Amino acid sequence: MPKHKPKRGAPTIDMTAMTDVAFLLLTFFMLTAKAKPQETVIVDTPSSISETKLPEAGTLTILVSKEGKIYLDMTGSHTRMALIEDFNNTYNLGLDDKERLKFANLGSFGVPRSRLKQYIDTEPAERAAFQTNGIPVDTADVNKSELADWIHNARLTQFRMKQEGTVKDEYVIVVKADKDTPYPAIQKVINTLTDINVNKFNLITSMEGGKE
Amino acid sequence: MSEIAQDGGGGGKKGAKVRSKKMSTKIDFTPMVDLGFLLITFFMLTTTLAKPQIMALVMPDKDVDKEDIEPVKESKVLTLLLGSDDKIYWYEGITDAKLDSTDYSAEGLRQVILNKMDKVRGQFGEDDYKKKNKEGVEEDLKGSYINVIIKPMRDARYKNLVDALDEMAITKVRYYVILDVSDLEREFIKNPAGGLKFSAEAQLDAATK
Repeated sequence: MPKHKPKRGAPTIDMTAMTDVAFLLLTFFMLTAKAKPQETVIVDTPSSISETKLPEAGTLTILVSKEGKIYLDMTGSHTRMALIEDFNNTYNLGLDDKERLKFANLGSFGVPRSRLKQYIDTEPAERAAFQTNGIPVDTADVNKSELADWIHNARLTQFRMKQEGTVKDEYVIVVKADKDTPYPAIQKVINTLTDINVNKFNLITSMEGGKE
Repeated sequence: MSEIAQDGGGGGKKGAKVRSKKMSTKIDFTPMVDLGFLLITFFMLTTTLAKPQIMALVMPDKDVDKEDIEPVKESKVLTLLLGSDDKIYWYEGITDAKLDSTDYSAEGLRQVILNKMDKVRGQFGEDDYKKKNKEGVEEDLKGSYINVIIKPMRDARYKNLVDALDEMAITKVRYYVILDVSDLEREFIKNPAGGLKFSAEAQLDAATK
């Protein structure tokens, strides 16, 4: 038997394979990561036993904060662009190209239509401090309700986009409210939705068994 | 690399013979791997892979003809009034309605619903709540025999509504609806002894308003 030779120096490990794996994973996570737009409102959803997941379709989210302020968020910058162009012309919001593009990538917003320009022009970091009462809702007259107007037109625009083939799905309407939101605020949202014939919608909840 | 060739330049040849140093081509990858995993950790923690859960809710159509409404048996109706401080007031039917209260625990609301189901079953003698559907699969229809009306009051929170809807899912109640609280019911809670002066017509009006 040959004599065992003692190893000299530190053992070297070939790191190449490990580097390959690490960077493969890194690439994967970088590509799948979606830049999360800054949340204008923090919503702590109630828990439920429901196990249905939010579908992969375009969503129109109605956020209701703890104070009962209403915010809107919709996916798809194409739809948002078309929608804001419509609104700009109809209501003379006075938004230029740049501002409209900003709106398309805005995330959630909760300002009256008249202050939208001012809100868009605010620096993103200062938007959280922007004083607002949310999107105005008029439950007595649906034609005067800005929330109903936004939702109705957003759905129409998305539908048009679907027919043109720009987007794949129609909007799924989602209500995301804080667990401590007083019911009248929710009632306003539900009434608005049924007023514009949206009778089917979804409530976002979190997994049962979490802290509460 | 970082080594600087010594004795470079001019009279190097005079002294000891300069052997060209054999450079190792191996690069230490450890810091690179460190960096890689650091970034992976960062991206893993910041991505939200988990999709939020949803609970589907279907509201009745607002423009519905009165003629299209099918009346339900009063004795099958259970009304839940979601009040403040996580309290639920409930009563059965309309005539001789007795107000009671409960909470959102498993022994509370769930038991109220299950008791009501048993009561309706005893009264109408539905055979075993199981029926075969068109495909011949036996369906549990226990939940189809009662009608629950959920009426969140002004001081209820959103969580109360979701909890109540959750109970509907747990007890498999098929027919439930969310309606607004009427003044008569507010009066009823203040003065339970006075009874509920509710007519079936008023209920129908409330549903089709």
